[in-house]
Amino acid sequence: MNPLIIRGIRERLRIKNLIASGLLSLILCSTLYLAAFLDGMQTWVPAAVSSSGKDELLSIPLNGAREAFTVLLILQGFYLMFLGTGRVASGTAEEKESGLLDYQRMTPMSPLSKITGYLFGLPSREYLMFLITLPFLLHCMVVGEIPPLNLAQLYAVFFCSVLLYHLTAHVIGMVVARPRAASWVARLAVLGLYVFLPVLGQAGISFLSFLTIIPTYFGKILPHLLAEGTEKLGRFEGQAVAFWQEVPFFTIQVSPTMFTFAMQGMILLGLLFTAYRKWRLDSLPALSKPLGLGLFVILQFLLLGSLWPFFSLGEASGLLGHALQLDPAKTGLPNQLKHDAQPAIAMIVVQAIFFLLNLAAVLLLINVCCPNPHRRLKGIQRKEKLGIHRIPSLADESPGGIFAIILSLIVSLAFACLHFLAVSSEQVNSVSSSLNTVFLPSLLFLCTSLSLRAAREQWFNLGFWGYVGLLWLTPVLACLVLAVDDLLGNSQFMLYLSALSPLTFFPQLITYVSPSLLSEASQFANFSMPVSTGISSAILLALVLTIRLFSYQKT
Amino acid sequence: MIEVRDLKIHYGDLVAVDQLCFSVKAGSIFGLIGPNGAGKTSAIKAIATLLEPTYGDIWVKEISALHQPEKARKLLGYMPDFPPVYEDLKIWEFCDLFAHAYGLVGEHRKASVLQSLHATGLKEQMNAPCRTLSRGMRQRALLAKTLVHDPAVLLLDEPAANLDPKSRIDLRNILKKLAGNGKTILLSSHVLSEIEDTCDTLGFMKAGKMALCGTIDEITRSNRQNCLLKIHLSRAVPNLLKVIDQISILSEFKETGTEGTRFRASMNGGEKEATEVLAQLVNAGLPVAGFICHRPSVEDLFLQIESQPTVEKQAE
Repeated sequence: MNPLIIRGIRERLRIKNLIASGLLSLILCSTLYLAAFLDGMQTWVPAAVSSSGKDELLSIPLNGAREAFTVLLILQGFYLMFLGTGRVASGTAEEKESGLLDYQRMTPMSPLSKITGYLFGLPSREYLMFLITLPFLLHCMVVGEIPPLNLAQLYAVFFCSVLLYHLTAHVIGMVVARPRAASWVARLAVLGLYVFLPVLGQAGISFLSFLTIIPTYFGKILPHLLAEGTEKLGRFEGQAVAFWQEVPFFTIQVSPTMFTFAMQGMILLGLLFTAYRKWRLDSLPALSKPLGLGLFVILQFLLLGSLWPFFSLGEASGLLGHALQLDPAKTGLPNQLKHDAQPAIAMIVVQAIFFLLNLAAVLLLINVCCPNPHRRLKGIQRKEKLGIHRIPSLADESPGGIFAIILSLIVSLAFACLHFLAVSSEQVNSVSSSLNTVFLPSLLFLCTSLSLRAAREQWFNLGFWGYVGLLWLTPVLACLVLAVDDLLGNSQFMLYLSALSPLTFFPQLITYVSPSLLSEASQFANFSMPVSTGISSAILLALVLTIRLFSYQKT
Repeated sequence: MIEVRDLKIHYGDLVAVDQLCFSVKAGSIFGLIGPNGAGKTSAIKAIATLLEPTYGDIWVKEISALHQPEKARKLLGYMPDFPPVYEDLKIWEFCDLFAHAYGLVGEHRKASVLQSLHATGLKEQMNAPCRTLSRGMRQRALLAKTLVHDPAVLLLDEPAANLDPKSRIDLRNILKKLAGNGKTILLSSHVLSEIEDTCDTLGFMKAGKMALCGTIDEITRSNRQNCLLKIHLSRAVPNLLKVIDQISILSEFKETGTEGTRFRASMNGGEKEATEVLAQLVNAGLPVAGFICHRPSVEDLFLQIESQPTVEKQAE
């Protein structure tokens, strides 16, 4: 057995702890489970169905078990996904801070064994608490007649998600210096990555939804949780089940369980590489440049696959995606809303999300993979010592200019693919605007990437994040204040202001290059000048920061 | 056994270790001395493969610690200056964890744990939880953990920092025994008297550089300009200063008493030169009643090197 798992058991599951945590879990689980079970068991049977010919309250254990299942699943998720994740993050960070992690780093165990040991050893108490809930699950399955195969699929995805969350926490624990901060940063990151980000999956980027157990729960379990005598699910549940039965990806349909495994597996792989590097040497950046590029290519593949049905057929996954389907007849929305669900708006929303998601990914990759001034100095010293002409371009210390350009090119290529797919399938009418539609957002993306790279390489964390906060967030916040002050009066000024931040400029630019919507939007403001100003300022900023970086590096 | 060549370590703009070169022979105990911030811990961490140097070469038993860290780690036992332990483990469990992690199994593992606990005097307390240990006892537990996989090279950063005098003597005996068994030991310390008694080779670090390196004998011999002479005459002599002026290797001649019979002088030379000085004094008719040649101790050298002006530690 892995010595680190044994250590976790010895540390956290001594007799006293074992009894205390076991009892706590048993009491909590039995209380919640029984309350939900008894509540769900009481079923009103209408007179039409009742054998006595009048309304009566019957006790149906099957309904109770089905009602209690979701409560049980939430409790299990709380144990392993919330408590367990916090424990892995804080435990890892505490050991990093105290130096214990260095002892482990020096042992000849493989990094994979060490990672396994930490993932299963640190939350050993939470696993015990989970184990205590299993008899209740068995009762649920037998009495509630939930198909074991579907349950097995759900729990396979559940454990895959737990592993993903714990690994995220482990990596955060190794990266964040302070243990208390690490515990909460990990929980927030898990919430952000696996709860808030999947919301974007509702806007057509389906793969983001599959970072959680929700699609498998809705697709595989919810239809089997209907109370006896109920013929179909409620409107929302019914829609959710329908959406997650099959996942459209490029031109094929994939099972939600398989798709979740594939998505989570890819992220697990990325996190494993990061943890491996950190286990090898703490001072290494979380990702190397080739690995960063590899992950970015995978992200583009997933984005393309998810958005393909939308750009080729006008079909989107997710609830919002469904409402924004290009064919208003398919929306299923009331007549009043159908008018608003214009294809152009849907196109702009999806394109803006595409760029903003890529912007977030590029920000993360440039922050991790491009060298800060200290690492760069190390590279220069090594280069001079070894007498080589230049730092190898794939080394962690090498300048990130080419890296930033490649990232931008990949995004431009993916965007061009989607645009020309939409043009060829006549989802977008005008071909004449293609040059502007692809070129201007790509140019803006390139300038933003180069500015970020220049900021990363000449400033430390405070300067870099200060730059991002000042240039990206301040204009957005100022626009919000102006919008509250006067919704339309300041619209022209707001356009100029929002053109300074990539967060707001991308949707603005996409609106500008979409002729069908521009004509309507132009009634409120003139887009031409703010767009020119935004593009010019992005180019200028990239140039100034890059020149400043060169002069800084020369000195 | 350990070879460090041209090692440079930066922390941002600060140069923590600069062009450090030294080697430690198998079976010897090498003491790294220096004031706070001299770069001792950084150098030890780099050898332990825990810190990425800017450049340089580190070889442990002909294995490059920079290019093959996993291989080098098998040979190393590292003990940091501040002793962190797993608070909720018992002492034997703490050692057992690392014995297991280093691949020891079954009875061999059990025997290794007991042996390391015995060597560090912790066998009696092996069932005590680590959280109840004093700082000195933690240091011992950590040493036990470091010894448990029988490493060929021990890297000990301030191993005696928290130990009481008895424990220090025990530690010294343990280290000497280990060195006698062929282990190579590199340790850093501020307790200079301990280092002098324990180590056979010393390296003085200052501002990231090795200011002086060699065996204790070599170092004290090569630094003979501050050899101190104590001269005691049986009676006061009027022409004493005239005689002293003729001996060119003497300097800083001072009277230490009030009767004109006790004096102190610095001498540029070793024992041979001291004999010559004594002969010159006797030949000049001085009534020499006592003559002591006091060679500089490690502590004297440390203070001497530390008092020399430092070079600004900035990146090139």
